[in-house]
Amino acid sequence: MSVEADAWLLDITEHTDGRSVDLWTKDRHTGRVSRRSEPFRPPFYVLGSRSDLEDLERQLSSHPEVDSVASSHQRPSLFEERRRRMLAVVPARNPFRRRLARTIDAIGEFHRFTLYDVDLTPPQLYHLTHDLYPFAPVRAASDPLVAVEPPEVLEYDAPPMRIAPLEIRFDGPPRRQRIPSTEARIRSIRIGETILEGPEPDLLRALAAEIARVDPDVIRTDGGDSFDLPWIYRRAEATGLSASEIALGRIPVPFRPERGDRSYMTYGRVVHQAASFNLPGRFHIDRENSFLFEDTDLDGLMDAARLSRLSLQTIVRQSPGTCFTAMEIAQALQLGVRVPWKKNRPERFRSGAHLVLADRGGAILQPPVGVHDRVEEFDFVSLFPQIMITKNLSAETLDCRCCPESPRIAPGLGYRSCTRRWGLIPRTLRPLVHRRLAYKAAMRLRGIPANERAQLARRVKMLKWILVTAFGYQGYRNARFGRIECHEAINAYAREVMADLSRAGEEIGYRTLHGIVDSLWVQPRREGAEPDPEAFAERMSERFELPLGYEGRYRWIVFLPATTHGFGVPNRYYGRYVSGAFKLRGIGGRRHDTTALVRRFETEALQMLGEAPDAPGVRARVPRALARADRFAARLREGAWPLEELLITHRIGTPLEAHRSFRDETSALRQLAALGLARAPGESVRYVLLDRSSRSWRDRARVAETMTGEERYDVDAYLEILARGVETLLAPFGIDRAALRARWGIPAERERSPYASGSDPDQQLLASQGGSPTF
Amino acid sequence: MGRTAPTYRQALEERMKRWEAFGRLLTTPEERAAFETLRTGARRYVAQATNVGSPDLLESILLSVLLDMARRMPPIAPPAVDPDGS
Repeated sequence: MSVEADAWLLDITEHTDGRSVDLWTKDRHTGRVSRRSEPFRPPFYVLGSRSDLEDLERQLSSHPEVDSVASSHQRPSLFEERRRRMLAVVPARNPFRRRLARTIDAIGEFHRFTLYDVDLTPPQLYHLTHDLYPFAPVRAASDPLVAVEPPEVLEYDAPPMRIAPLEIRFDGPPRRQRIPSTEARIRSIRIGETILEGPEPDLLRALAAEIARVDPDVIRTDGGDSFDLPWIYRRAEATGLSASEIALGRIPVPFRPERGDRSYMTYGRVVHQAASFNLPGRFHIDRENSFLFEDTDLDGLMDAARLSRLSLQTIVRQSPGTCFTAMEIAQALQLGVRVPWKKNRPERFRSGAHLVLADRGGAILQPPVGVHDRVEEFDFVSLFPQIMITKNLSAETLDCRCCPESPRIAPGLGYRSCTRRWGLIPRTLRPLVHRRLAYKAAMRLRGIPANERAQLARRVKMLKWILVTAFGYQGYRNARFGRIECHEAINAYAREVMADLSRAGEEIGYRTLHGIVDSLWVQPRREGAEPDPEAFAERMSERFELPLGYEGRYRWIVFLPATTHGFGVPNRYYGRYVSGAFKLRGIGGRRHDTTALVRRFETEALQMLGEAPDAPGVRARVPRALARADRFAARLREGAWPLEELLITHRIGTPLEAHRSFRDETSALRQLAALGLARAPGESVRYVLLDRSSRSWRDRARVAETMTGEERYDVDAYLEILARGVETLLAPFGIDRAALRARWGIPAERERSPYASGSDPDQQLLASQGGSPTF
Repeated sequence: MGRTAPTYRQALEERMKRWEAFGRLLTTPEERAAFETLRTGARRYVAQATNVGSPDLLESILLSVLLDMARRMPPIAPPAVDPDGS
C-alpha cells in the first residue's frame, strides 16, 4: 500500500521531441520535483472495408508523418461485442496525430473510414495504458512507474502543493481601473511573498530567478491568461530576452499561448475563455479563467484529476463535462472499446407527436404565490445519476436487441433498458455516486477537524458538478457516448417518481406546495397532527430505491410570481429554515448582474423579514421593509449614492457590431472600443448610467475604466432599478413596480432626446445630412 | 442544446396571444372579466398539462379551463343511487 510509495506522480506532459512524454514526480520527503522522459507514441485506429484498409495501408507506408501501420483487432463500439480488424497508425511525431487523422479521413472521402482514439492526448493515454493517474503515489525508482494504489481509494494523501501568486503592476492606479498603453512598462511583479522592482530586463530576469528559487508547483493568478502572462512575454520579447531566460515553468517554453481564446454558448449563456498559457512541470491556475476552481479549489480538482486521468492543468480550464467524458473514455477502454473520434450516430426518425411526448423536462408543480409557514423540504440525492444507475440507462442498453421483454420501461415512452449487460454510463456513474455519498457521510462524522471537513466539502462539490453534467451530456449532440433517448428516459422516470412522491405525501397528511424535478415542498394539512418528516424520507427512499433527503423545515418561505402572468415561478423563492439559515433562489442577490444598490436593499429587507417566526410575522414586517425602500429612494434622489454601488455588470451576449438597437451596454462597449479595447461575448462590461434617455454613446453611460468619480448618475433610471429589486421581493404582498413608480414619482416612459450629441462630430455630420442611424 | 418541439408553456402563450383578438371585441366588462378568468384557468395547470404531453394543444387547454371552472363550482352532491344499481 501507500507506505511503500516515496513520491507522487504530479503530471504527465508531452515532450518537445514529439516522441515521448515527461513524467513529473514529487519526492515525498524532500518535496523536490523531477522529470523523466519515456518514449511514447500511441497509435490511433482506422476502421473500413478490407479493400479500403489495404489501399490505405499502402498509401500510409510511405507517408512522411507515419511511423508505422499495423493490423489490429479492436472492438469498435459499445453496440458491438465482436472485435474487428482495424489499422493501428503510429504517427512519426505525436503532434502529427490530428493532422494525420484528418488526412486519412479525407482519403476516405469523409465516409469510408471511421477513426478512433484520435483526440485522446498522449499524456491521457499514457495514464490509461500504464495504470497511472495524476497524483498517484508511486515509487520513484521503479521502472516503469507504477501506482501503488488504485485511483478510486477514498482516503489518500494528496501531495502538498507549493502555491505562488503572481501579479504584475504598471505605473499609476490599480490595474482594474486602467488599461496599460502599448508603451507601458512593467514596474513591479509580485511572486509568492516577494515583490520585485526595477528596470524591465532585470526585473524579468529576477522573476525567473525567484521562481526557480521558490520552485512552486502552482502559479496562481487572477487574469494571468488574459493579462499577466501575455504582458510578461510581450515585454520579455520587446527587451530582447529569450524563452530560455524567462522560464516560468520547470522547463522553458516559447512565448505563446497553448490555445487561443474563444467564446462559446453553454446552458443558454455566452462565456468567454481567455487564451491559455501552460508552464510545463507546474500548474498555472488563473482564477478568472477557471470555471471550477472557485467552487472546488485544489482538493476538488485533484480528486477529479485522479478519477478522470486528466492533467490538473486540463481540468482547471475545462468544464465538468470534460471530466465526465474522460471518465467514460477510461471506462470504455477498460471494456476494450475504442473511442470514436466523431460521433456518428444520428438521432433516429421520430414523429412530431412522439417528440412532444418525449422531449420534456422534469416535473414542475407550480408554487402558490405568497408566504407560507411550517413548510418541509425534501430533495432526492443525485436523482438523475441514481435513475441512470438503477434503470441501467446508457446509449447501448436502451432498446437493445437482447431484451425485448425487459421489464425496465421508461414510463409513457416505452424505451426498454437491457437486463443482461451493464451500461457504460451506470458503470461510470456508480463509483462517483458512492464516492460522493461516502464523502458526505464522512463530513457528518463527529470530531472531524474543520479543515478536513472543508476539504471533503470541496470534493463533494466537484463530484456534484460532474454528476450534473452526466445527465446533460446525454442530450448534448457532441457528447461521445450520449444519446437523446437516454435523456428523455431519465426525465420520464423522474416525472413518475415526483408524481408518486407528491401523492404519497398527501396520503400521510401533507399538502404539496411546490415541486421541481427532484425537490418537493410540502405543508402539514393540520397543525398538531404533523407527519414525521425523517421517517417519511426514509420510507420513500426504500420505496423508490432512490435516496430522499430531508432538507429541513422553514419558519416561512415566500414563493414569487412571474411578472408576466402572475403565477408562481419554479425555483424563485426566499425563506428561512428553522435552523436559522436562509435559502434564496432566483432573487437579485443570486444574480451576477445585480447592482450593489439592490443587493444592499435585499440584505436589509431580508434581515427585517428574517426576524419573523412565521407567515403572519412576515406580513407584519412588510410595511417596515417598504419604509426602508422609501428611504433608499429618497437618498438616491439626493444624488449622493456612492457610484461604485451603482455599477451595472453586464455579461456580453452579442458583439458590439451586431447590436441592432441602442442599449445601455452599447454605449459602454462603444466607449471601450474608442479606447481600443474590444470585449468578446462572454466577457463583462461595467458601467454607471448617466442619462438613459440620451441617444449618444458618450453620454448615456460611463464605463468603470474611465470613471472619475465626479459623474452624476441618472436618478430616475436607478429608481426604476430599485423599484424592480423591491418588486422582486415584495410582489406577493401587493407591492409592484407600478405602485412604486407612483409612490416615488418616477415618470413611466421618458421622452428621448434627439440622437445627436453635441460633442460628436460624426453624429453632427450625420444629422446635417438627414441620416437616421440606429445609434 | 436546443429542443425541437416547443414546450407546452410556449405553445399555450402563443395560443393565448391569438385569443386576445377574440377578447378585444368583447363589449361588456363582465364578459371581459369572464374571458380573463378563462385564460387564467388555462395557465393554472401548465405543469399538469405538460405531464400529459399531448400533441393536441386544445385538449390540454380545455381540460385546464374546465377543471378550473369545476373547482370553483359548489361541490357536487354524491349520486343518490349507487351507480351499480344495487
